[in-house]
Amino acid sequence: MNLPRLGMLFMLVVATACGTATEPPATAPEGKLKIALSNSFIGNQWRVEMENVFKAACAMPPYATAVECSVFNAGNDVSTQSRQISNLVSQGVDGIVINAASTSGLNGVVQQACDRGIVVVSFDNTVDHPCGLTVNTDQVKFGQQLAQFVVDQLGGKGNVVMVTGVAGTGADSDRNKGAKEVFAASPGIKVVAEYSGMWDSATAQRVTAAQLPSLPKVDGVWVSGGTDGVIKAFADADRDMPVFGGEAENGFRKYMAGTLTPQVTGMSIGQPPYLSVVALELARAVIKKEREKGNLTIPFPVVTGSALTPGETVFPDLPDSFFADFTDSGPDAILILCQEAATDGTPCPGKTLDVKLGAP
Amino acid sequence: MRDLQDRLGYLVLIATAVAYFAVYTTSLGRPPGSFDYLAILNTTMPLALVAIGQSLVVLTGGIDLSVGGVVSVCVAVTAATGGAPGWILVVLLLGAAAGLVNGLIVAFGRIAPILTTLATLSIYTGAALWVLPVPGGSIMPEVRAVLSNPNIPTALGWLALAVAGWWVLRRTRFGMRVYAVGSDETSARAVGIPVERVKTAVYALSGLCSALAGVFYVSTTTAGDANAGAPFILTSIASVVVGGVAFTGGRGSAMGAVAGAVALTLVIDVLFFAGIDPLYQSLFQGLFLVVAVLLGTAAALLARRRTT
Repeated sequence: MNLPRLGMLFMLVVATACGTATEPPATAPEGKLKIALSNSFIGNQWRVEMENVFKAACAMPPYATAVECSVFNAGNDVSTQSRQISNLVSQGVDGIVINAASTSGLNGVVQQACDRGIVVVSFDNTVDHPCGLTVNTDQVKFGQQLAQFVVDQLGGKGNVVMVTGVAGTGADSDRNKGAKEVFAASPGIKVVAEYSGMWDSATAQRVTAAQLPSLPKVDGVWVSGGTDGVIKAFADADRDMPVFGGEAENGFRKYMAGTLTPQVTGMSIGQPPYLSVVALELARAVIKKEREKGNLTIPFPVVTGSALTPGETVFPDLPDSFFADFTDSGPDAILILCQEAATDGTPCPGKTLDVKLGAP
Repeated sequence: MRDLQDRLGYLVLIATAVAYFAVYTTSLGRPPGSFDYLAILNTTMPLALVAIGQSLVVLTGGIDLSVGGVVSVCVAVTAATGGAPGWILVVLLLGAAAGLVNGLIVAFGRIAPILTTLATLSIYTGAALWVLPVPGGSIMPEVRAVLSNPNIPTALGWLALAVAGWWVLRRTRFGMRVYAVGSDETSARAVGIPVERVKTAVYALSGLCSALAGVFYVSTTTAGDANAGAPFILTSIASVVVGGVAFTGGRGSAMGAVAGAVALTLVIDVLFFAGIDPLYQSLFQGLFLVVAVLLGTAAALLARRRTT
């Protein structure tokens, strides 16, 4: 009865001890590069857009001929993502682009990838390990900029509500930190409530609806994510519309543009889904030795006031939950992508993608 | 046939290992190397440890959802303190104490295990966020070299130790009592087994296993995250199920659960190298679970038909 058990153990030992096949050689950066996207969680709109624009970019020139892309999702499970990255290392890819399940949980495997000469670029939820490169926005600034807008609009006086994101993540604590600095510096501003909307419009709406009856008059709302849900909760409760500083949900922008009523005064800043494409370009450039290794902080696409351009900063025919900042806009745009790239992951017809990384 | 159910975990493990070997070799044109085996070993260790604890609880007919919270809080403390040996001892005591609380509430408070551990899951997860609000922390390189060395299979020694621990445990009076309580609590009580004490002890042991898993987690990833434990709730239960441990209690073994944990990890790799569209990976992982469970049920049915 116990012999088979011992046998199994023995097999495992032998299998581990005998595995002495040679490691993949560091591939010379010639021909088509192999770059893989390792994403953690895929169950929200932002992640879907992020992957779609990545796939679209890979199918567009110049990437279509220069890079062989692959995409993997792990869910919010560090060990699954870590296994997938190990397997990518075994496959001998040239670069790995990561949106991590945990900023710290992949350090071990990222180190192993770096040791084998693989270029690792993480974005959005980045990896701590210094051997990997990062592409991100400044999340503290996100919090500050939106909070400053709210303070300025209110003339430095009034009641403010903070709707935060998913606790325990780096982005959430950075955004909150930035916002609190600004609010604390304005003595006339009183933060009357702070609760989590989990970066989700439906959750933010539900929680806000539950909180509203107990709140005094609210003059300004700072939202880390799920802005359109918060607006809907205020509208449903027949409350006076406060000033909103929020994310880049298409629904929020529709309210700002007046496509949805009541029209809302607000500032919309987004974590752009095209971070994945910028990370792809950085990985490619570093592998090709066209660029020195170095982290990249890109500016936020910001929209304020009511002058929104349909098809560029607001998309009337797309759902409210869509993130309207899948493409940059304006003369200094980092990159320009079309609607179908974000909705279906298909290449923009007849376009060559030009990603401007800026000076290193 | 009874044996087949008992060995379900090993059969599933062998099947997935063969599949892994096959898809890896076809995909890359060479068999898996030491890097692959080591990476599998080191990433499976935490799950294997949690699965051992979970299987002990399930053997008594209970369930422990709080493993996620205990792993999180132990990861948080280990990473925040850098994992000095003294602190590791504190972490292990902490995990055992957290489990003990579960056990006392379940056994003496007579509250259903699923409710008790759901409540304590929130408490322990909250405590983890309080200790480590932002992912980070570190582990001493010396500790990492001993626990989950990325170059030598040190973890294999620890796994062997855990296996040996289980082997001894199930032959002790306590081990027999665990099975007795799970098989039939009333008769166990009738023959004078201190059911409450046995139950309390298995939850405490589960907490200890989760604490060990937390330490290994930090050692493998070199840092901590207060949300680290959450995935272990479902994966540990899945390991136990795949490992052939009966949810009604009294049947199965911790070794089956370990085999289940390794098999679950290998499934991820099989799907990876088989080139399954990532969008459908969780679908296939789920299918794998269903098939494994059906196999177990079929084996049990066959066994019953034979005996009657």
